[in-house]
Amino acid sequence: MRTWGSVLILVVCALLLGGCWDRTEINDLAIITAAAVDKAEESEIVLSIQVFIPRAVGGPGLGGPTGSSERALTTILSAKGENIADAMSKVQSKLPRKIFWGHCKVYLFGEAVAKDGIAGHIDFLVRHPEPRNRAYLYVSKGKAGEHLGNNSLLERSTAEALRELASLHLGMAVTLIDFRNMLNGESRAVVLPYIEAGSKLEKPAQIQENTLLLGSAIFRKDKMIGVLSTKATRGLLWLRDEIIRASISVQIPAGQGRVSVMPIRGKTKLIPAIEDGKWSILVKIEAEGDIVENGTKLDMMEMSSNALVQKAVEDDVRSRIELALYHLQKELNADVTNFAAAFHRKYPQKWHEAKQNWDKIYPQIEVSTQIHITVRRPGLVTDSVGHPGSHDKRK
Amino acid sequence: MGRLLEQGKISSSQMSKMLFLVIVASTVISVPSLTGKYAQNDLWLSPILASLIGFLTVFIVFSLNRLYPQQTVIQYSPDIIGKVPGKIFGLLLLFFYLHITGLIVRNYAEFIMGNFLPQTPISIVIFTMIAVCVYGVKAGIETIGRTAQVFFFFFLFPLILMPFLLRDMHLDFVFPMFEHGLLPALKGAIIPQAYFSEMFLMSFLLPYVTDPEKGMRAGMLATLGVAVVLTGVNIFILLVFGRQSSDYLYPVMAAFRYISIADFIENLDSVVMTVWILGMYVKISVFYYATVLGTSQWLELSDYRPIVIPIGMLIAAISFWSMPNINAPVISFPFYSPLMQTICPLLLLGVAYLRKKGKRQSQAQTAAASGSVHSEKQEG
Repeated sequence: MRTWGSVLILVVCALLLGGCWDRTEINDLAIITAAAVDKAEESEIVLSIQVFIPRAVGGPGLGGPTGSSERALTTILSAKGENIADAMSKVQSKLPRKIFWGHCKVYLFGEAVAKDGIAGHIDFLVRHPEPRNRAYLYVSKGKAGEHLGNNSLLERSTAEALRELASLHLGMAVTLIDFRNMLNGESRAVVLPYIEAGSKLEKPAQIQENTLLLGSAIFRKDKMIGVLSTKATRGLLWLRDEIIRASISVQIPAGQGRVSVMPIRGKTKLIPAIEDGKWSILVKIEAEGDIVENGTKLDMMEMSSNALVQKAVEDDVRSRIELALYHLQKELNADVTNFAAAFHRKYPQKWHEAKQNWDKIYPQIEVSTQIHITVRRPGLVTDSVGHPGSHDKRK
Repeated sequence: MGRLLEQGKISSSQMSKMLFLVIVASTVISVPSLTGKYAQNDLWLSPILASLIGFLTVFIVFSLNRLYPQQTVIQYSPDIIGKVPGKIFGLLLLFFYLHITGLIVRNYAEFIMGNFLPQTPISIVIFTMIAVCVYGVKAGIETIGRTAQVFFFFFLFPLILMPFLLRDMHLDFVFPMFEHGLLPALKGAIIPQAYFSEMFLMSFLLPYVTDPEKGMRAGMLATLGVAVVLTGVNIFILLVFGRQSSDYLYPVMAAFRYISIADFIENLDSVVMTVWILGMYVKISVFYYATVLGTSQWLELSDYRPIVIPIGMLIAAISFWSMPNINAPVISFPFYSPLMQTICPLLLLGVAYLRKKGKRQSQAQTAAASGSVHSEKQEG
């Protein structure tokens, strides 16, 4: 009796473990890898989703790489709607499987829709239980849906390519959490990476010609107001104390050539000050880097040439920062550099008085820089390849 | 007579683990949003302030227990304030526990529905949980104590995962501290303190503790543990989410969902949920057990087991009726819970002390054998 009772309980438990009504089989799901939102006529939007095709991965038989490389791994579907939720239900009607957001790692917004404001769309993404907060946001020049169609050479899909790009830290990498932190921040200004590609890329030959440019899109509240170039974006990254993995190439007049330095680590501190009603900020950067290319005739083991390179890199970083600040302060008047937060932390009282006039204060803030770059290693060789013998001290 | 109801015994460390899980299980999942709403970036202070109620409650329960060892609040309240008022208070307390248990079950179900099983009928989620708890409560306090002992370590496991979010933490979010003084942090403490007053459940556990003299220490340790864990969780959430901490219904889940290490350690929220359900099981069992035990003591039954299932059904019914949807806030809860579990017991303690004092005076006057009356009472 007792044994049968326990058997019965085990059977009931096994039945419930399946997840009751919410049991989902993986072959009932249409897994979205990326989604793009574009503006349609009037207030409508177009939602394009990149859906993963599971059949294309395994392929029939064990034929190997032939054939499977030809087949597309993803397909794109789109539909119009009032908002994402509405458009999604319309896309759903074109799909035999249930749309699943859990693996969507990238959201692209077209420039037009970004200018109208994207807070409503973000709300869907954070409210719905499926989308993950770790997803990256991008703004694209032109139609975002077209970017989804770009075939990526190395990765399975554009989505994967963009996600990898975010982890390379060449430009801004903004997740949903970061977006909301910026939108809730003191200055209510947001920056998202801005991608710009040439024509629709299909053949590998074309891809090599058309590189993906990474700038940044600047938002006031949730509405896009302008774009920063790649160069200015690097300056912004320095100001925001984010990791940069792009080499800095500088001209060394004394060495008649260029030297490239790869930043390894860096720390940026913003030190605000208010004196006689004058708001100013000191940007203090401490960074380290390695030399990765030496096109000059200088010997990189020499202390003097090291100093020359450091000085040149410091100047380059300074000019990038100044460029970024020029655009942000004078043209766009959008504080995506966290200045407001720095003032808020140091001068909570004065900040509360000045909060309402931040738009007027921000362009007037005087920014001074204190940059210290240390070149740690010359790389694996000492001499410049083009100028052998300069390390030779016998003569 | 009361002693026959439960033959089981627990150790004081088991009791403190039970109490720890009782409070942490339901608060940990949402405390950053409950406190952050008022305290903003000072939310880490709120659990510390709130824990004062916990310490006070432990002190009250322990002092009452010293006066009436081997008895629960249902048994000694008629002794303190007279038979009829004592019974009325006991009844109110039982209704309170019945109601709160229903609310807890509902909260549990809402969480499971909102995050993981949106299509499943809520009744299934509720009934399966209550069914498991029925088993635990029928098996008695020893079983619940031992499950708490085991689950306690499981429950602490997610804390080890927190460093996975180190690179997403921003220390800047903590500053400026106390921008608007201490008031926001105090306001933030209003909801958590109601949970801390649940320490009063000790009253139902202490009579069965083998080393009751350590009861005070065990209760205080449990309260301290809860305060430390909640403060830690609050800081952790604040550093990751900053000003949006209070926007999430379940910030801890959102944070664990955000973890992504090397692109393959991801979606750890399911780990958190599993562990959390273990904690919720202990919490519901302890509340359920207190309700059942209290009811049988109030009715002076010889065995509590026959009423386990009927009370379970009542709890299920209350969990259906208690709130129409998740945004119907139980506004009264922050006042209701400490009123029943801290303030009324404090009054009981006051009356008990006064009566004892009065007795001592009369004892001094008459020099009669009132001491034997007193000891009789203690044996109860």
